[in-house]
Order: sequence, then structure tokens, then C-alpha cells
Amino acid sequence: MTMPPLLELRAISRRFGGLQALEDVSFGLQEGEIFGLIGPNGAGKTTLFNIITGVTRPSGGQVLWKQTGIEGLPPHRIHRLGLARTFQNLRLFESLSCLDNVQVGLGRSDRRRALELLALFGLQARAAEAAGGLAYGDRRRLEMARALASAPQLLLLDEPAAGLNPGEKQELSALIRRLAAELHLTVLIIEHHVPLMMQLCDRLAVLNFGRLIALGRPDAVRHDPLVIEAYLGGAGGAGGAGGAGGATEDPS
Amino acid sequence: MDVLLQILVNGLSVGAVYALFALGYTLVFSVLGVINFAHGALFTLGAYLTYLGVGGAVGSNGALAGWALPLALPFPVALLLAGVGCAGANLLVEAVAFRPLRRRHAEPLLYLITSLGAGVVLVNLLQIAFGAEGYALPADALGDLPPMLTLAGARLRSVQLLLLLVCAAVMTVLTLWLERSRGGRALQAVSEDATTARLLGIDSDAMVRLSFALSGLLAGLSGGLVGLSVSIAGPYFGIVYGLKGLGVLVLGGLGSVPGALLGGLVVGLAEAAVPGDLSGLKDAVAFAFLFAILLLRPQGLLGRAPITKV
Amino acid sequence: MLDGSLLVQMLIGALLGLSVYLPLAAGQLSLATPGFMTVGGYVAALLSTRVAALGGAEPLYPLPSLLLELLLAAVVALALALLVGLPVLRLRGIYLAIATIALNEILRVVLLNNSWTGGAVGIFAIPQPFGDPLGYLAALAVLLLLAGATCQAIARHPLGRAMAAVRDDELAASCTGIDSFRIKLLAFAASAVLAALTGVLAAHFFNTWNARQGSFDASITTLAFVVFGGSRHWLGPVLGGLVLTALPELLRPVGDLRLVVFGAVILLGPLLFPQGVVTPALLQRLLP
Ligand SMILES: Nc1ncnc2c1ncn2[C@@H]1O[C@H](COP(=O)(O)OP(=O)(O)OP(=O)(O)O)[C@@H](O)[C@H]1O
Ligand SMILES: [Mg+2]
Repeated sequence: MTMPPLLELRAISRRFGGLQALEDVSFGLQEGEIFGLIGPNGAGKTTLFNIITGVTRPSGGQVLWKQTGIEGLPPHRIHRLGLARTFQNLRLFESLSCLDNVQVGLGRSDRRRALELLALFGLQARAAEAAGGLAYGDRRRLEMARALASAPQLLLLDEPAAGLNPGEKQELSALIRRLAAELHLTVLIIEHHVPLMMQLCDRLAVLNFGRLIALGRPDAVRHDPLVIEAYLGGAGGAGGAGGAGGATEDPS
Repeated sequence: MDVLLQILVNGLSVGAVYALFALGYTLVFSVLGVINFAHGALFTLGAYLTYLGVGGAVGSNGALAGWALPLALPFPVALLLAGVGCAGANLLVEAVAFRPLRRRHAEPLLYLITSLGAGVVLVNLLQIAFGAEGYALPADALGDLPPMLTLAGARLRSVQLLLLLVCAAVMTVLTLWLERSRGGRALQAVSEDATTARLLGIDSDAMVRLSFALSGLLAGLSGGLVGLSVSIAGPYFGIVYGLKGLGVLVLGGLGSVPGALLGGLVVGLAEAAVPGDLSGLKDAVAFAFLFAILLLRPQGLLGRAPITKV
Repeated sequence: MLDGSLLVQMLIGALLGLSVYLPLAAGQLSLATPGFMTVGGYVAALLSTRVAALGGAEPLYPLPSLLLELLLAAVVALALALLVGLPVLRLRGIYLAIATIALNEILRVVLLNNSWTGGAVGIFAIPQPFGDPLGYLAALAVLLLLAGATCQAIARHPLGRAMAAVRDDELAASCTGIDSFRIKLLAFAASAVLAALTGVLAAHFFNTWNARQGSFDASITTLAFVVFGGSRHWLGPVLGGLVLTALPELLRPVGDLRLVVFGAVILLGPLLFPQGVVTPALLQRLLP
């Protein structure tokens, strides 16, 4: 890999009081890849997203975007550089219509483009409805449409498949692949469903207690003893990580 | 030297009232994360109830003109009963202005508005019942205590001393209770993290009611004491203290018990230090401090920086 | 019953309602509207009574002088709003409410204790630019139309969506590219300017001006306009301001209960009509 990474994390640490949520985490994302971030609950995955997107400041380390440090910039500035995200606990503009949610993401009034984006996620019929009234799966999709609206280069998805049924998860995974290819997106995705991640991602990073314990291609990560140990009895299930690479059932 | 001592004494006794006030806000704030704007009205209610308790009669402008309790209680008893009455009234405020919104997980802004509304209703009901005139508690309310004491050259009214003692006692008891007792620790647990507290089997609804009752009790006690100390200027007099109490609250740090005490004393002392020819500006001191602290240290003197989890 | 003078006061109410609405539309509760109105009124009162050159020869106060007052009041209010907003709006919502109460109180105390501003009695004999209430009615109606049209334009503009986004979820808005601090500051400044402009006209209309205009009572009353009318559409606070200003006159028989009714509106409003009387759904039905 001689190309400089699109996004590079250098020795990122974050403390919350007595808790070391992240410690010395370093890795880089190549342009165009779908990169997975997995790890047990509380491993620090969302905190890492927050640091990348400017929501939380790191206690130490650097975030390089196209080789320029962006740690410490406010979230809206980072967003304008081409990084967009979704939230683990869905943060839509509840009182706004789906159309307006997407137009906020666009940053301008463009009905046509907004409707196209909604259509991409099968939401065109819901355009005029308030986001707060949508069914759960639709809300997840709307959040992705809003994030994509700004035509980002890097899309950060925090558990986009949480709460979806196996069929929906499979659909979503296919959609992410398609979008990444068509829109030349780089994707950083957090997801607990390990089989899905094995199938979807080009590379994976595994966090445990705030430390990076494995990094590499899915088949390599899957057999890493540290990863298997971290997942023993965890929500992801060591069996899922070890065996069923193509399976779609939710182990939890 | 004597002048300084006098300023200190005056400042501390006023500051003690502000501290009690801020503490009342803090109790509710630390559990619910919102401010009960009806607090000032409860303070007024406490003053009026104390006045009635010691046998005072309603003045000629009120709807209840001439009415009085058939008996006159000793001041400490009347004060305590007023505190209990205000605790009850604050529970009512909680039930009407807070609980329905909590059930709906409404946005915090709405609590401000509904509690403000509850306060306005309460104050104006008092105005209708008692009229707009001022009331003074009888000078002999403290029985045989001499009205004025001299302490190392500083003159101190016994009411001021009483205020200081009550404030110190309340602070001590409350701090001990919060730190040591099951109930207090449960209250703190809820304020740290309501969801986890519920998982631990703590009834957070009961804790919310407890915090409102305690905060109402404080409002009532301080209202009665201030009523005795400076007389009741009318149904709105609690609002003035209530607004200053907010300044003190931000100064000390939202949600911090020692911060409430420190903020109260700082503002009380600063007000007492304002020279006589500028005394008109005294009422702006608390708010000037508030702006200064917002600029320099937004979380207040002893508050913790807020954390947002995503 | 609806005489000219009451209508003037109703329009003032509607404008003040809009002033409270603007920051609220971006999720910020500001109680400073009466404070900024006081400031605007003092700008008008001081200029028109102390600066002889503005008076002119006619019996009526010249309109160009009035326009100058409006301009100056807007500038003063803007400066004050930035001074207060810059530190405070970086903090969470509750701080703005408290800081604006503090601002009101500081203004009130300073104005009351300053001989230059007439102290506790205030300023008397403010000259009249209009011969009868109709002139004020027209001037206020123009201001209200301008303000309403601006709100309407903003609502359909990315700025309006950004304000709503900040109101719904500030953090998500920031992560969607919105400079939420700027949006909040803008809304707060606009609110201040509108209140100050209203204050200029009100001071001339009332003929006398003092610091009591900015009391805590007034904060609550103006807040009630928005709570009653609704904060989801600019017509809400306008309706609230009109109706609740007229209400005391209509309810005159109730007498002392007037403020209890106000309190009850503020208390029960959010419980019964979480969105106020004028909701987007209602408007959609009325204006398809
Ligand atoms: N703002 C905060 N203040 C204090 N502690 C925090 C904060 N944010 C996160 N933490 C703590 O940091 C640790 C990592 O949290 P994080 O949300 O990053 O985990 P995660 O890997 O996303 O977990 P999950 O799979 O459950 O979403 C947790 O222990 C969490 O409680
Ligand atoms: Mg997470």
C-alpha cells in the first residue's frame, strides 16, 4: 500500500474520568475500501467515531484526513471536509419531514435530489411524513440517506443493521456495497453481527477494552486467537466469528 | 477592622439565604436536570404560611381580609409547619408541572415553561388571598432572644444568627444524608444515571418526589426566616430572591451542593461590600458574577463540565 | 371595545411574540425580549427628548428622526445580543434562559439607578410622530408584515431548516454540517433587534418609558404568547400575542384572576397542546 491513507488515526487515546475508553489506537483507511470496526460492548467503537467526527476530543493522538490533522475541529467543519456519519441511537430531526431531513443534509433546497436520495432507500413514499413517526427500519434508512446527501467521501455507519431482521440486514449489506461502488465511497462501519461484517468488509479492526487487538483481512482476523478470546461468550459469539462466514442469522 | 467584620457578618447571613435557595434548585436539578422555576413562589408561600402560623391576620386588601388562625404557634413550630406545607406544595407542583412531561419524555425546555406557569399561578393566588401589601412578622417572634447581639465588635441581629445557624445545620444534615444514608445515596445514584439506578432497583419516581419535597422544605424554611428577617414585601418578593438564586446556582455550578453554598456566600459577601452610595446597584451583583463565571468557567465554581453521550 | 389603542398594544404583543419565537425556533429559550424592548425604548426616549436637533419645527416628531432611532436601537440591541450571546450560546439551553434573566435584571437595576435615564420614574413627554393611534397602527403593521414575511421566507429557506434541525437535535445538526452556534446566535440577535424596534415604537406610543417594562413579569407574559400560540410556525406567536394582549381587556370582569389565567396558560399549555394552538398540521388543513 503505497497510497497515503484517506483517514489515518495515530495513537488515539481517550479517557473519561477513570475509564480509559481508547488507548493508543492507530490504523488507516484506504480510499474506496469498506472498513469494519468490531468489538464487544463498551470497547470504544462509538467513542472512536465521535473522535473522528469532532464530537469528542481525543485525550491524545492525531486524526489525519488526507494527511492533515483535523482533531479539535468542530463537527460541522469536519462534515464539510467530506465525512458524514449515522448514530447508534438514531438521531433524526424528528419534527422535520423525511424530505427536509435529507435537505438539511444537502445543505440547500433541492427537492429533486432529495427525492432521489429517498428513493435510493425506498422512502420516496414517506417524503412528506415527519421523521419522528417512521417505523424503526425506515428511520435507520433515513439517517443513511441524510448522511449521504452531502456527497461525503467517507461514510461512518454506527450499527446500521441493529434492530433489522436477517432479510433486511442482507439487503442493507448489498446496498452498502452498491453505494460504495457507485458513489466512490469509503465506508467505516461498526456492526456487532460478525458474519455480516466478514462478508461485507474489505478489512476489519477489532477493539477490546479500548485497545486495537487485531487488524487485517476478514479471514485473518477471524482466526486471530486474541479476537476469538475477546469474543468468547460475548455478544458476537466466537462460533459466528470462527465458522459461519456467509451465514446471515443473528446470533444474539 | 470592625467595618470589615460587619460586612462579613452581613454578607454571610444574606449569603446563607441565597445558598439555601440555590440548594433548593440544585436538589431538583441534580435529579431531573431541569430547573424548577416555581421555587421562588414556594419561598413566598413559606413566608406567608409562617406569618399565618404565628397568628398573623390577613390584611384588608386580600380576599381573605381579616382572617387568621384561631391560635398563635411559637415561631419555630410555625416555621417547621410552613416548611412541611411547602414540601407538600412542591409535590403538587411536581405532579402537575413535571410528571406529565416526564411520562412523555418531553424536551427540558417545556419543564421551564410549566414550572414558571405553576409559580405564576401560586404567586397570584397568594396575591388574591393576601393582597399586594407587605407583612411583617411580629418582632417578638423569637421570644426572649435579644433582637441584637454584639459579637467581637460586629452587630448581629439574632435573626441573622438564626439564619446562619439554620443554613449551616441544613447544609451539614443534607451533606451527611446524601453521603451516608441509603436514601441519600439512592438520590445521588439517580442523579448520576437514572437508567442504571432503575436497574439497581431504585425507584426513581420516588427519588424525584423526595427531591421535590426536600427542595420545597428548604424553600419554605428560608421563606419564613427571611420573612422574619426583612419582612414580607408582597407576593413577589420570592421572585427577586428566586432570580438571584439562579445567579448563585450558575456561579456555584449547576447540580453541586457545596457549589450552592460557596456561590451563596460569595454573592452575599460581594453585595455586603457594595458601598452605601452605590447600594442601588447591589441587586445586580449576583448577575454580574454570573456573566463573569459564564465567560471564565462555564461549569461554575464547583460544577463538573457536562458530558454528553452519543 | 377594540379601540385603536388596544389594537396598537395587540400588535406590540404580536411583535414581542415573534421576538420570543425566533430563538425558540432554534431551540433556545430567551427571556430577554422585554429587556431588549426596554433598551430600544430608551434609545427612542433619550434621543427624542434630549437631542433637540431631531425634533424639527412641526408639532409632530419628524419621521426621519424616528427612522434614525429605529436604526440606532437595532445597532445597540445587536451589539448587546452579541455580547451576551457569544459566551452563553456555547453552553446548553438552560444557560441562555438564566443568562437572559440576568441580563434583564442588570439592565433594570442599572437603568433604575442612573439619573441619565430618569432613574426610577423614567422619561416623560416623549414626542409623538403620529397624531393618533392609526399612525402607530400603520407603523407597527408594517413592522409586523416585514417580520412575518421574513419568517415565512426563512421557513422555506435552508436557514429555516437548519434552525429546526438545531432545535430538534443540536448534535446531529452539527454532524450534518450545520454551524449550530452561528444559527443560535443569529436567531438570538434577530430576536433582540425585533424587540428593540418594537420598543422604539412602543416608547413613542406610551409617551413615557421606564425600566419596569423589562420586569420578570413581562418575560413571562411574552413567553405565554408563544406557548399559547405555538412555536412551530411564526403565525403561532403572532396569534398568541394578539389574543393574550386583548384577553385582559376582554376578561376585565375577572380582575385579579388575570395573571392566574396567564399562569395557567403557561402551565397547562405545554401539557394540553405541546405544540401550541397553531400547529403545522392545522395550517396544512386551513391552507392546502
Ligand atoms: N461521554 C462519555 N462520558 C463518560 N464515559 C463515556 C462517554 N462515552 C463513552 N463512555 C464510556 O466509554 C466506553 C466506550 O464506550 P463506546 O460507546 O465507545 O463503546 P462501544 O464500543 O460503542 O459499545 P457498544 O457496542 O455498546 O455501542 C464505555 O465504557 C462508555 O460507558
Ligand atoms: Mg457504540
